[in-house]
Amino acid sequence: MQPEHTSLTDEHWRTLQALADRIIPQDPDWPSGWQAGVGDYLAHQFERDLRPQVEPYRRGLEALDGEARARTGKPFAELGNAAQDGILVAVERGDVFTNWPDAPAFFAMAIQHVNEGFYSDPNNGGNKAGVAWHMIGYTVKG
Amino acid sequence: MSANKTYDAIVIGAGGGGGIAAAVLAEGGMRVLVLERGREKTFAEIPRDHLRNHRLSLYGQNFGPDDNAGNPRVAVDGQGRERTVLPYEGGYQNNAMGVGGGTRVYGGQAWRFLPTDFKMASTYGVPEGSSLADWPITYDDLAPYYERAEWEIGVSADSELMAQHWPRQKGYPMPAVPLNSQGRLFRSSARQLGWDVFPVPLLVNSVPYLARPACIQCQHCVGFACPVEGKNGSQNTMLPRALATGRCHLETEAMVTHIDTDGSGKVTGVTYFDGNGEQHMIKTGVVVCAAGAIETARLLLHSASAQQPNGLGNQGDQLGRHLQGHYYPGVMGLMPEPVWDGIGPGVNTATVRWSHGNEDEHGPVIGGGLLADEFVLLPMTFWLRHLPPDVPRWGAANKQFMRENYRRFVEIKGPTQDIPSPDARVTLASSVKDTWGMPVAQLSGTTHPETVRTAKFMWERAGEWIKASGAVKTWGGPPGLGLSGGQHQAGTCRMGHDPNTSVVDSHGRVHGHENLFVADGSVHVTNGGFNPVLTLMALAFRTAEGVLKQR
Repeated sequence: MQPEHTSLTDEHWRTLQALADRIIPQDPDWPSGWQAGVGDYLAHQFERDLRPQVEPYRRGLEALDGEARARTGKPFAELGNAAQDGILVAVERGDVFTNWPDAPAFFAMAIQHVNEGFYSDPNNGGNKAGVAWHMIGYTVKG
Repeated sequence: MSANKTYDAIVIGAGGGGGIAAAVLAEGGMRVLVLERGREKTFAEIPRDHLRNHRLSLYGQNFGPDDNAGNPRVAVDGQGRERTVLPYEGGYQNNAMGVGGGTRVYGGQAWRFLPTDFKMASTYGVPEGSSLADWPITYDDLAPYYERAEWEIGVSADSELMAQHWPRQKGYPMPAVPLNSQGRLFRSSARQLGWDVFPVPLLVNSVPYLARPACIQCQHCVGFACPVEGKNGSQNTMLPRALATGRCHLETEAMVTHIDTDGSGKVTGVTYFDGNGEQHMIKTGVVVCAAGAIETARLLLHSASAQQPNGLGNQGDQLGRHLQGHYYPGVMGLMPEPVWDGIGPGVNTATVRWSHGNEDEHGPVIGGGLLADEFVLLPMTFWLRHLPPDVPRWGAANKQFMRENYRRFVEIKGPTQDIPSPDARVTLASSVKDTWGMPVAQLSGTTHPETVRTAKFMWERAGEWIKASGAVKTWGGPPGLGLSGGQHQAGTCRMGHDPNTSVVDSHGRVHGHENLFVADGSVHVTNGGFNPVLTLMALAFRTAEGVLKQR
């Protein structure tokens, strides 16, 4: 999944997966963002339209992880859902402890890109087998 | 540079206007060359990409320009700051570029303008600072050509109901496209309000017509190509007719950079680059420019000569001004129960009750527009542009909202007539050039602020309708002041009798240039409160017929 040439490490990807799965969490009936293929969407886009955003992602994901460590002593990806959500609520408000380029802007960017992967057509890499469309009741005939 | 053979006429642009001009001229016996900067594409080459289409172009678009970086424009904001924009960015005002132009991927709403739309200044007066004006022709002048467009390209509509609003000689060639469930809902609620409604006329086959099949009611109409050729555009109606004469040649990936004129102003030919980057000068007896309101203005400005230093037809400093499209006031809402049946195209039920004669708390409002329901909405677009402001943007609550409400969502909106301003304009950028080295279009100014007032009036009516339909929650505010254009771009070569206040005469001929014509939305004096394509088509028939008569 990880494109070779990007500057995102395995650790960045773990943080990104955890972030995506709080933006679109799993529920009893429907998959999370990552389960539906958002990671594949992002990996594809980081080599295409979002190439200029790879560096902002690297910085933002490191800041998010730094925020989690500063608050809890643990990396973001190892926290429980409630703790992750608590940090993201603070990030959304810009109410952060650590050094961020622009916490709310990073989160808003990630929210949009994760949802692009989830709700756009499966040819973009996410929304595997149209699962998000099944969820909301959008059906394609013809 | 090579000098090639000569043609009787060169048509620049293979979109809605250009296809009609090519067919009328070639069928009339002229040898015609159509130069189209885009490519001819198959259905498979126009993907159903929910991020890159002509309804939502987040990272690109599926029907041109294909080379984003090579086709920038410059957008100037209210503070005079210039910004280079690419085709998928908002300030670009993109339509489409390819064989068929916008008609390949449009929604195909087939509106005639109302008689009053041709007489805006004499009906309402001219607000200070606006260039609102009457057309030099009337609805009656254009009516026979509307009829030709409806029959030769193909429109489905309710002949009886439409005749209650538009004087017409003859019915439509096909019955209206059937209403879907939201269309029936809004028909019923409008009738409770006492509003007169009817099915939206569409350039879509409700039954097989002209050897092509009926619409299959899919969910990817506006912004995409039709999978069965049941949507009628230049590429599957008029252009094939032109080519079938044997007298018309279509050259794609051909970028015209200059219309060549002699000392008397007569057009002698055009200069263009072919798909291999080779430059050509071709001689011709007539040029019909149909590149769209932004690119036509750009080309005429760039074709300045010693005799016409400010561009062709620009002695009155009108060329490129009065750029207009439409404001789109709308109100979104949720029905108590799902109403989505996914039957496309989706826009069904419309009213013209608020097109004219409106009054708000301050007095008479200038113009108005139509209101209608909406095309089948893509899930991505719903998430990005249509959620209520109080729904969280992330987390379980956002997902749950999407899950529970996509099929309950409804929207009423419509094009409000722009009140034009001479400051809304196309000029040539001073330093940014395209891939051929030609200065790109620079877009600046806004419509006249009266447009905001009219749009607010229409927004209130949209709210009344959606609430009367039983929506349990509504949201969305009225539009603010801005520049419009985009897919409805018009006005930059306005039609008129006086060369000091217009660019083309009442037959689309550029003032001062006896053999140069414009056949696209550029010539619209005002743009009606309607999707403008059928008017553009009717004018192209009329202008091309005039070219033939002149021979």
